[in-house]
Amino acid sequence: MSYAYLFKYIIIGDTGSFVSPISPFQIWVGKSCLLLQFTDKRFQPVHDLTIGVEFGARMITIDNKPIKLQIWDTAGQESFRSITRSYYRGAAGALLVYDITRRETFNHLASWLEDARQHANANMTIMLIGNKCDLAHRRAVSTEEGEQFAKENGLIFMEASAKTAQNVEEAFISTAATIYKKIQDGVFDVSNESYGIKVGYGGIPGTLGWKRWLNFSSRRVLQLKLLIFECFDSSNCVYRVSTLYCLLLLFL
Amino acid sequence: MHEADIHDLSDDADYAASQQQGSRSISRCGSDKRSEPSGAEVVFLKENVAIHPTQYASERIRGRLRLIKQGACLFMTWIPYKEIGSGGGAFGHSDARLSDKDRNLYSIRAVPVTDIRSIRRHNPTLGWQYVIVVLSSGLAFPPLYFYNGGVREFLATLKQHAVLVRSADDANLFLLNDFQDPLQRSLSSLELPRAVSVAPTSTSESSSSSSVSSERPEDGRSYSEYQKHGQKSNDPARDLSIQVLEKFSLVTKFARETTSHIFREIHSDNLNTNDRKNQAPIVSNSNNDVDNSGLESASTESFVAADPIEKPSCRKDISAVKKLPLQWGVLSLFIFDKMTLVWGKPRQSPLGTEEWVTFLDAEGRILDSKDLRKRIFYGGVEHQLRKEIWKILLGYHDYDSTYAEREYLSSMKKVEYKALKRQWKSISVAQAKKFTKFRERKALIDKDVVRTDRSITFYDGDDNPNVMLLRDVLLTYSFYNFDLGYCQGMSDLLSPILFVMEDESEAFWCFVALMERLGPNFNRDQSGMHSQLFALSMLLELLDKPLHNYFKQKDCLNYFFCFRWVLIQFKREFHYEQIMRMWEVVWTHYLSEHLHLYACVAILKKHRKKIMGEEMDFDTLLKFINDLSGHIDLDAILRDAEALCVCAGENGAALIPPGTPPSLPLESNLLYSQQDEL
Repeated sequence: MSYAYLFKYIIIGDTGSFVSPISPFQIWVGKSCLLLQFTDKRFQPVHDLTIGVEFGARMITIDNKPIKLQIWDTAGQESFRSITRSYYRGAAGALLVYDITRRETFNHLASWLEDARQHANANMTIMLIGNKCDLAHRRAVSTEEGEQFAKENGLIFMEASAKTAQNVEEAFISTAATIYKKIQDGVFDVSNESYGIKVGYGGIPGTLGWKRWLNFSSRRVLQLKLLIFECFDSSNCVYRVSTLYCLLLLFL
Repeated sequence: MHEADIHDLSDDADYAASQQQGSRSISRCGSDKRSEPSGAEVVFLKENVAIHPTQYASERIRGRLRLIKQGACLFMTWIPYKEIGSGGGAFGHSDARLSDKDRNLYSIRAVPVTDIRSIRRHNPTLGWQYVIVVLSSGLAFPPLYFYNGGVREFLATLKQHAVLVRSADDANLFLLNDFQDPLQRSLSSLELPRAVSVAPTSTSESSSSSSVSSERPEDGRSYSEYQKHGQKSNDPARDLSIQVLEKFSLVTKFARETTSHIFREIHSDNLNTNDRKNQAPIVSNSNNDVDNSGLESASTESFVAADPIEKPSCRKDISAVKKLPLQWGVLSLFIFDKMTLVWGKPRQSPLGTEEWVTFLDAEGRILDSKDLRKRIFYGGVEHQLRKEIWKILLGYHDYDSTYAEREYLSSMKKVEYKALKRQWKSISVAQAKKFTKFRERKALIDKDVVRTDRSITFYDGDDNPNVMLLRDVLLTYSFYNFDLGYCQGMSDLLSPILFVMEDESEAFWCFVALMERLGPNFNRDQSGMHSQLFALSMLLELLDKPLHNYFKQKDCLNYFFCFRWVLIQFKREFHYEQIMRMWEVVWTHYLSEHLHLYACVAILKKHRKKIMGEEMDFDTLLKFINDLSGHIDLDAILRDAEALCVCAGENGAALIPPGTPPSLPLESNLLYSQQDEL
């Protein structure tokens, strides 16, 4: 499907699942479920734990323009941080997720943010998400604390639930809208893909699309030039004819 | 004569005709219908056509070469003779050193002639005539030695039934074409001395123009040179890819000795072609290279450089390459799409119970551990034997232990396991409150076991006791090896082991044995992973320099895109049954302790054309590799990995730093401590 822009997102935060003390089989998982809820509109509590990175994608529409979100879901465990850091490169947006029922995940936000600031491009839009807001009765981090942290660090903030889908859609879309606005304001040079934005063919006669066409055609042109060169240089009559035939085929 | 598979060809006119053509020795007549399509007609048959797997005369394998026609299709087969008594014959060689099993690995079963790209005839002054057959898929068979002559008849027969063209420049190279492309067909019908030349694709475009200008500033001269070289390279005989593939057939140890002189000759050819390429990157193409997807893809075949696998024997090439790193990198982007590896032996069927007992003495000791490991390396084991054999492969049980000793050890270990498990089982709620590390570990394991292989019947459903076993074993392990503790990925490694063992204690001790090898994968500083990824990059540089250079250019040299492959030994890339097969093969440590790294190289090489052709950057590459999960052909990759391993040989082994997992660490610095985490 064609898109006007492609944004790369990355989901980061402590390894997310929560096991019910009553039965270990009742779990609420964090990041991966958030992604599944957004891309597939379903809640799947049983999902293999993420090793390295997993990918999801969905099309959204902003300002009547089709935008593709390519979302990278990362492993949360500390051991994999050095690997996770390599995924920041070229991300336009990040969802920094903590669990409102587990205080320690909130306490670790600063170190995640530091990683993100250090390894991502400076204009990356970061959305802070307090996940599992359906479990308000087990809340360990207040909404105000979340808001405060976001404000201090210049993040967008939202509380969401991967289980009930509350605010999931909004979180991803408002991040995209922020990025889109930055493009409109000229913050990004969209032809530089290291900002995590690719310009597609859909929606606009994008500069990059045109560039690609040119690139493609110049390749063809080179082939043609060579053939013509060969053709007129050759003293062999049969060869000339056949090369012309090739030329004809190429044009058709 | 010694052949046992016999053929009834007495009523075959073609066969009778061929009888008159040359000297041959056919004894009895019968039929080997298994390898022949039904309704087939044998149009050519030659006895005593041999393959020389090693330089030892005693290991030469003789067999029967046939061309079989079925309908409009022509097939080539070569089946080795079965061994009966002394196989000396007129040449005085005994084939006794190779078992039938080994010999059959070289069989060529019904290859359609339309799949053959070229056949090169060699007429050494000393020794037998032989041919090298290169398939369009990139496979090259080992040289086929015609002990009784008959190469000419072989080619003549081929010519009768297929389009066989002798190369204009090299009288010994014959090209077989399967014309599918209208352009190609029309060109060949004109019988042109040379075919269409092909321009480079987008990536090579800039470099080609720049290299043309940098190499040869005067335009006039450059063109005449281009012409000169062009003519030389126009001919299919000069098609480097064919040479490369043929050389690969030669370069393997299988034919090293007997073909060394030819090797040198090709080597010098190779230097010429390299020079030429440096001067004129736009190499004109042979007609069989223009495939039906058009010029763009055809051009990928036209760029052919020396085989990186040959580097050890082509020192001069390397120095030439070093002088021109940039051009080389770009030029070689599209070179090795045909470089499928040749020499991985066909996979065997898994080791079954009947065969397994032949490896054991009366008391259950394994007679020849290397032999057993070799057998498993080539075929794996049947599922019901895994329980027994994995313990041995992993080193939990010794190869020379008896049944009784193994049973005794298991019972002792069961007691020990129970004691270990009690260590954490006995922690009361009150104690746990003051034991953060334990609580955190337990919470992490609890979370992960319910996210491990739950789609497998063995682990699915609510309140599945096997999931609890998984947790208990992991938690016990984190007490047994408190320094390493638990890390994500361990549950993936344990899951198939528990599935196979169906016993908590046995699974635990197998896991302990596995973690002796793979524990460093989970070091908090990722040292084990980094050393393996480093070794991988060294191997790829050796085995596919252009691809390595491509990764370098794209800033992908950390090889993080292979992280998951290496961390859990491809667990997430294959289906459950396949991963068990993969693991038992890797665990044999038969050709190398690091077969999994060669498997990484094999997969990357398999997709090299796509990776470089689509100019994948790190992100795209990572996604591409992630998405390969479940779509990798295990047998093909194991064969390729084996071939790469053989090919890299000692050079490959030398590149892997000592102590790289799963090798055991040099000195026992097992007092590794790492912090716990959430």
